[in-house]
Formats: sequence, C-alpha cells, structure tokens
Amino acid sequence: MQAYAAKLIDLIESKAENIAKQWADDVMKHNRTPSYHRLPKEMVVEQGTAFYKLFRRMALAANPYEEAKSFSWKYAEELYRKKIPLQEAIYALMLMRRNLWLYAEFQGTFVTVLEKTQAVESLNRTILLFDYVSHQVVEKYQDLIIGSVERRIGAIKTLMMKGPIGTKKNIYKFGMMAIFLLIACILTYHNHATLKSEGLFTHLFYIPIILASIWWGKRGIIISIFLSILILTSHLLFLRGMNISADVIRAGMFIMIGSVIGWLMEGIKKVEEMYQ
Amino acid sequence: MKAFTGKLVDLTQKNADTIARQWAKDVKTNVKTYSYHNTSEEEIMHQAKYFYKNFQLMFFNESPYEQAREIFEKYAEERYQEGIPLHEALYALILMRRHMWLYAEFQSMFSAEVQHQQAVGSLSRTILMFDYIIYVVARKFWEMMKLEGLTTKNKQ
Repeated sequence: MQAYAAKLIDLIESKAENIAKQWADDVMKHNRTPSYHRLPKEMVVEQGTAFYKLFRRMALAANPYEEAKSFSWKYAEELYRKKIPLQEAIYALMLMRRNLWLYAEFQGTFVTVLEKTQAVESLNRTILLFDYVSHQVVEKYQDLIIGSVERRIGAIKTLMMKGPIGTKKNIYKFGMMAIFLLIACILTYHNHATLKSEGLFTHLFYIPIILASIWWGKRGIIISIFLSILILTSHLLFLRGMNISADVIRAGMFIMIGSVIGWLMEGIKKVEEMYQ
Repeated sequence: MKAFTGKLVDLTQKNADTIARQWAKDVKTNVKTYSYHNTSEEEIMHQAKYFYKNFQLMFFNESPYEQAREIFEKYAEERYQEGIPLHEALYALILMRRHMWLYAEFQSMFSAEVQHQQAVGSLSRTILMFDYIIYVVARKFWEMMKLEGLTTKNKQ
C-alpha cells in the first residue's frame, strides 16, 4: 500500500460507519436522489459501509479493478431491484466520495503542506476507485436491463425460432406452415364439401395465423388473408344455400388477429434491437 | 481562490488540441471504450474539443449544474444516436478528466509544495463539474431509453 494513501485509508476504515451514516443522511434527502428517500436507512448505511471498506481491499489488491466488482455488482443489483434510476445510483456514489472527503477535511487530516501533498495523491486514489466502481455499476445496470427484457420476451423468442433466411430454423418454419395450410385446406374441404357444415374447425386456423405473425411480423398477415379467402371461396363453392355472414365474420377475425399480433411483434422486435 | 482553481482549466483550454489528441488515442485503444475503436480520430477529437471548450464555460459559471444541463444533454443525445453504450460514454468522459490532469502533471503545473494547495482546489472543483456532467449524461441516456421504449409502444 502506498504511504501517501495510508492515512486516508486508515481513517476511512476506522470510521466507515460514521461516514456511511453521514452519507445516508445526505443521500436520503438530496434532491438529485429522490428514490433514496423511501429506502430503509439501515440498508443505505450498510451500502455506504461496504463502499468505504472496499477502499482498503482495493489498495491491497493486485488487480483493484477486479476487486471493485465485489462491491459494484452487489450495489447495482440491490439498487436495480429497488427500482432506483441509474443516474441516482451514480449520484449516490458521487455523494459517497464527497462525504468521505468532507469527513477527512473535517477531521483535519490534511493540514500541513506535506499533508496537502498527500491529499492530492489520496484524492487521485479516491477518484480512481470511484471511476472503476461507477463504470462497473453502469455496465451492470445495462446487463440487468437487458437480462430483464430477455426474460420477459423469452417465451416469445422461443416461439419466434429466430434465424437468417436459408438456415435450418427458417426451413422448419416454412415446412410447418405448409403442413398447417395443407391441413386447413383438407379440413375446409371435408367440412364444407362432405359434411356440408361450417363447423368449429376454423378455430384451429388461429394456430397458423398466430405463428405466422410471430415469425414474420406484419408480413405474416398473408397467411390470414389466404385462410380467409380459403373459407369464403369454399363456402361459395360448396355451401351455396347457406348464409355466408358467419364465414365473413370469421374471415374478418383472421385478418384482424393476424394484424394485431403482427404489429405487436414488430414492437417487440424493436425493443429487443434497442436493448441489444 | 478562483484564480488558483482556474489554472487547470486555463491550461486545458490553451492546449485543448494536444489534450484532445492524447485522449483520442487513449479512447481508441482502451478496452473499456470499445465502441470508439472504429470511429475516426478526427471525429473523436471533435468531441473532446467540444467538451473542453464548454467545460471552461461551465467551470466559471455561477450555476454550473444548469450550464451542464444546457451543454451536456446535447452531448448525451449525440452519443446515444451514435449507439455508444452509456458505460462507455461515461468512461470516455472519465478519461477526458484524467487526461486534463495528466497533462497538468506532465507540465509540472503543481510541482511546488505550495502549489499542492491549489491542486486540491483545482481537483475538487473539476471533480464537482464532472459529477454534474456524469449525472446529466446518465439521466439523459435513461430518459432517451424510456422515450424510445414509449415510441415503440405507441407505434404498436
């Protein structure tokens, strides 16, 4: 450990809780950290103490940047869980550093000219620690945001079976859709031409409609249009005497459901892109 | 006191080109600012010059926080549009501050013992300014991320 920083480090370690309490009072009423106002004081003090104790560990560590992670990641995770905005989490760190310095000044740690020299070095050391921690906290916050978005849209992503055109996943999609459409044609023909009934089979058409919209977004509407044309044409060919209005409503619903899901999926894709 | 603390900023202003070039070289190779690696040095230097020029205005302003909002929200918007992640944008700012200080040290600006008093003043004021800037930039990024999310929702 460098001699110049030793004085400050000793002070911080012996008075960690006092400085943390001072910081807690500050951060819990500061106008740039409003989200802290509602946090339990014990939790805030604990965070402050952990930060101040990190100082010696970092000074002793062979790789201070890696050592800082032991604090930064936990700090970011805790605050993210408490829904503290990033800029406030960063500002709270700044206040930690400021309070540390204020405490040292208040205790008259650096009075003589020689001590002022030590003060400059100590300041540099404090700033470096803060630089590391703030960088790690911001990075962790971003990881947590991305992770949260990923989890929320995870199920949809599985259904999306993403992959570039020509890859195996895309071939499966086209293959599955072709099978669905073939089954739809057979069911329509069987019900309309053989059984002469409109039946409930059209509810099954929502499976390819929803999947097409999830896979291809707005372009998936083509499947809805195809199935709408299929039931209307089949009705006109095989159920001439029967009222067509129910099938017209069904066809309209296919297009509406396909469109709505297609639009939603475009939105989800944008959110995903944004967080990537 | 103002004259003492202003020494660092005056030096930075006078040598903005040199410091900006040193910073650009650093940011283009630093592992924590990966997104800057493929940007041209001239483009990056332009950012630093903009920064150092405006930093002086802010430093001597009576309401530095308000001034920081006026100047650095635009800076944040530009970095956001360029697709620079927030942790890299902030680290680039940290490096700007470090290069200011490194240059001053290199020039032995605060070498005499009595000058250490000035150095503490300069450093404290500079750090305070950077605290404001980092807060403003982080908040703007956060707002823009939320705004983009909202626009996406509305488009749906």
